[in-house]
Amino acid sequence: MELKVIENATCTFCGCVCDDIELHADDVRIHQAKKACVLGKSWFLNHTAEKKYPDALIDGQPASLDEAIEVAANHLYEADMPLVYGMSNTTCEAQKECVAMADLLGALLDSHTSL
Amino acid sequence: MGGKVTCTLGEVKNRADFIVYWGGNPAECHPRHFTKYTLMQKSKFLPRGRKDRTVVLVDIRETKSAKAADHFLQVRPGKDFELLTILRALIKDQKVSEEQVAETGLSLEVLKDLIEKMKAAKFGVMFFGMGLSMTRGKHMNAAALLTLAAEMNAFTKFVAMPMRGHGNVTGADVIMRWQTGYPFGISLNRGYPRYNPGEFSTVDVLVRGDTDCAFIIGADPGATMPKPAIDHLAKVPTIVLDPHVTHTSRLSRVHITTAPAGIAAPGTGYRMDEVPMPLKPALQSPYPSDEEVVRRIRETIALRPDWMTNQPQMIEAQI
Repeated sequence: MELKVIENATCTFCGCVCDDIELHADDVRIHQAKKACVLGKSWFLNHTAEKKYPDALIDGQPASLDEAIEVAANHLYEADMPLVYGMSNTTCEAQKECVAMADLLGALLDSHTSL
Repeated sequence: MGGKVTCTLGEVKNRADFIVYWGGNPAECHPRHFTKYTLMQKSKFLPRGRKDRTVVLVDIRETKSAKAADHFLQVRPGKDFELLTILRALIKDQKVSEEQVAETGLSLEVLKDLIEKMKAAKFGVMFFGMGLSMTRGKHMNAAALLTLAAEMNAFTKFVAMPMRGHGNVTGADVIMRWQTGYPFGISLNRGYPRYNPGEFSTVDVLVRGDTDCAFIIGADPGATMPKPAIDHLAKVPTIVLDPHVTHTSRLSRVHITTAPAGIAAPGTGYRMDEVPMPLKPALQSPYPSDEEVVRRIRETIALRPDWMTNQPQMIEAQI
């Protein structure tokens, strides 16, 4: 099978954010991550496009995304002092949404930096 | 960390002839840092590459990174702040006693030699890791190092930069600074941002049991935080967004699977020197991106009646 080649891909495993990685991928997984270090290689090769997990889990039971969003919104809205935490392994666009949500909720907002 | 004296890694690569790693182990944690930015690269200003650079490692033990360094200074655990303060005194020719230096596990002779080399450098850079910023003294240690870097500019060009761990943690700092004015440890419960690490930082909030609902994204505190914090996460409704079912997912009330950023979700990530990089996903995920899910949760919350505006702690209610 022909592999798709992505040049100058960006690795977000560590803070170096190397942007010169050459990825060889099919539809499901990345087979090669050239120029990446050992950490970057395992980062790229261990994530696949397979459907390994349910869309969502509510109280440990598989659920749909719509249900999970509704329940999550409920918990957050009902809380007196919600906490929005993490935001390291995600994009700036998602981080911006998190800040907007924390603002709406009057929440605590924090990242890995404080750990 | 607004106001720190810093630069980009491109400048380090092209100009830095004196490099200090403090409390970090790049050989194992940032494997390409040496080859891409600090040690091996040749440039117009450093034509002989590694030979034109002096590398110092300061750490509590001799890690693999020590092999790559010209000088290794073994500081006594928990004495980083003292050592940095002594260096700040020494660069200004202040008197420091042998006993004070001995407490840090080093000798005055070694430190004077280090100061001499620092002052003789054309472009010095100090990288500091979690070994400095997450041990006794915490952000005060980082502040001491940043101050040392700033004060070194009385003699020569000197900068400092944190060695950031997880991929886009720099982006989180940048986005929070942009949106709230503060980089982390923020409370918005009065309707405006307040900053107080120790009070609003997550570990402390969880250990004290000060939150009644936790939203966790791109992190796995269930695997990294102290036991009392994890216990509290299990007690309150916790919501997790992650590409995998993590330790935190297992104790959460809601887990939503999302596409891994940079691999199957597009967007932007910040490098440790605060240079933004576009992500180039190689795969198409069957799951939605973090961005989409958070936006949908926020929109769902926004449909409900606003309860914040008329609270007694709001500014409007107090004037």
